[in-house]
Amino acid sequence: MSDRAESTLHLTRRTALGALAAGAAGWALLPSRPRSHAGVPRGRTEITYWEKWTNREGEAIQAVVDRFNQTQSRIWVHRIPVADITSKAMVAIGGGDPPDLVGFFTYNVPQFAEAGAIMAMDEFDGLRDGLPPLDPDLYAPAVRRLLTYRGRQRVGVNTCYTLGLYWNRAHFRERGLDPDQPPTTLDRLDELGEALTALAQDGRIERAGFLQNMPGWWPTIWPIFFGADVYDAEADTCTIAGDACIRAYEWVQATARRFGPEQTRSFMAQFGRSNHSAQDPFISGRASMIMQGPWMANFINAFNPGLDYGAAVFPMADELAGAGVLPGLLEADVLAIPRACPHPEEAWTFFKHMQSVGVQEALARAHCKPSPMRTTSPGFAVGHGNPFVGAFDAIAKSPDVKVLPQTRVWKQFSDLSISAFDAIWSGADVPTELAALQSRVNDQIATDAARRARRSRA
Amino acid sequence: MTARRDLWAGLAWTSPFLLGTVVFLLIPAAMSLYFSFTEYSLIEPPLFVGLDNYRHMARDGLFWKVVANTAAFALGSVLVGTPLAIGIAALLEARVRGSSFVRAVVFFPTLVPIVAASIGWMWLYAGEHGLVNRLLALVGVRGRDWLNDPATAMPALIAMSLWIIGSPVVIYGAAMRDVPRSLYEAADLDGMGPATRFCNVTLPMISPAVLFNVVVSIIWSLQVFAVPAIMTKGGPNEATNVYALYVYRTAFDYAQMGYASALAWVQLLITLALALIVVLGARRFVHYRS
Repeated sequence: MSDRAESTLHLTRRTALGALAAGAAGWALLPSRPRSHAGVPRGRTEITYWEKWTNREGEAIQAVVDRFNQTQSRIWVHRIPVADITSKAMVAIGGGDPPDLVGFFTYNVPQFAEAGAIMAMDEFDGLRDGLPPLDPDLYAPAVRRLLTYRGRQRVGVNTCYTLGLYWNRAHFRERGLDPDQPPTTLDRLDELGEALTALAQDGRIERAGFLQNMPGWWPTIWPIFFGADVYDAEADTCTIAGDACIRAYEWVQATARRFGPEQTRSFMAQFGRSNHSAQDPFISGRASMIMQGPWMANFINAFNPGLDYGAAVFPMADELAGAGVLPGLLEADVLAIPRACPHPEEAWTFFKHMQSVGVQEALARAHCKPSPMRTTSPGFAVGHGNPFVGAFDAIAKSPDVKVLPQTRVWKQFSDLSISAFDAIWSGADVPTELAALQSRVNDQIATDAARRARRSRA
Repeated sequence: MTARRDLWAGLAWTSPFLLGTVVFLLIPAAMSLYFSFTEYSLIEPPLFVGLDNYRHMARDGLFWKVVANTAAFALGSVLVGTPLAIGIAALLEARVRGSSFVRAVVFFPTLVPIVAASIGWMWLYAGEHGLVNRLLALVGVRGRDWLNDPATAMPALIAMSLWIIGSPVVIYGAAMRDVPRSLYEAADLDGMGPATRFCNVTLPMISPAVLFNVVVSIIWSLQVFAVPAIMTKGGPNEATNVYALYVYRTAFDYAQMGYASALAWVQLLITLALALIVVLGARRFVHYRS
């Protein structure tokens, strides 16, 4: 055993020289800078920008980045597409190695802002960068609300979206309906949904008229079309068990009951991972009407450009339709500068560039979305990828539009809402289910408030 | 002098493993234990809160839900999986024609990456066009939407987990081949039938392998993550939300790393306790030849 150990440790001069030579060769071959920096022109400050978009949307933001890199000679922006961006940014910021810019979701803002993990825009006030100051009045009012947390602008906008109703005009014609008359009230939506639904002999749904669980990504949106709020920002309380909310979810449940919870689930399950592809229920013609965002036009253009469709403001309860209001949900992608990022000044320069009307309109056009700015350039809608962008724009600029609750527990709220929606769709008693959901969310809010208070005291 | 050199040589050769264990296991585990006594969101410094995170579990409804779901998964996969694996191994050891091929078929699923297997099973379970429902339709049974129905989602995941049964089957098969022939000959002389022989000879002789597989299965099933994360995302209506998934969401979706660390430590303690109970409880039934 000891002989073997000795022979193992024995080092000849030749071996030592060989190892040294290999080390030297490795050192000589080591690139002077990482391969990802290879294309960066000398003399530029490189900043890293994490963004969640890929494919067409990723190409659009890359085009904006490329234009910025070409139009000045001081900064080089390196965009890195990042999936699961929230948790990765959290780890990077917590680990002290954040990127210079991160493309967040709006629900991240309260969390990161209260932790002081992202910089507020007023922190750059004294900076002399020779550029015009950031003007918050340029944003549409609801967008400005989304960017502001506790009275300070924390992030910039990076396109926004609202949700509308898409309808298949060919299906309308096929059932003898006027393809230019989409429903404007929920009662009419129900009538049309029933008329457009096609059932097989065994009761299976072959084509859905309209289902609220399709695609099911916004389980808390329905009260908006009954004029209700699911959250009281001033009281920091969940209000989803209110009367109007109960009416909203009873309307949702009525659809499930009409077509059968199991049949509708089974129909939806076919499209589990096919949304926004050629097999998407609406794009493939398996659904006649669907609630979706403006980006849907992008996917229709890509996968079924011949689809004869329209898009309009989502219908609302009768009393709202008569009152001349225009409710809806506005959401946005946002741009943040993490605190302790390596190049805050350069990041701020790129940030301001991104907040210009021209850049946001270019990005919005490429994403088929409405403009997030207060006023829209005259030519914005001309040749826009979404021929119905006007409807989405009208919702975005409406004084009645709502934004997601600005609470640190939004993710829990959202996850609990998905479960409650499932239960309601399966036939659970609506007031009981919503009361339980409200109680659970308020518990989360109270727990979070207690934690914040303890941290403040500490 | 030689002993010392041997020691240094041994340490030098094992140092990558020792270093890896310290850096990637012991230090993170110690940090996680500390974080479990703090309120920590990754983006703020940890704040010491004593036992608050552990106390919070008692009133966290979702915690009890995921504990129940994980227990259901573990019970289902261990209680059904163990006899099934022993049965398949016994059939494969019967030396019938084609048993080598069947053994390869049984073992094959363990080689399939879990993500690919999960996606494949999602298609099998699909409500309208899934193979499972198509086969049921051939015999006049109307299938269900297995993964989207709260009543069937968890049983569907358990059934899927039984598909990956190759490793225990191989271990049981090896243990069965190791049973001395003389015992079977003695059993034959005593006039035992196949069933009695299996219960009185084979099972006692392979009992150490059974114990090993049961303990490993319990540990594996209490840590299940990828299958529900991919196939159901914990739904519908939290029916498949399991412990590891809840720990992950709490840490990275809800930014509560302190609470998630406490959950992880409770998971470790539960797993250790169960493994210990099984090992101690099985002493009466496990037969070691030595």
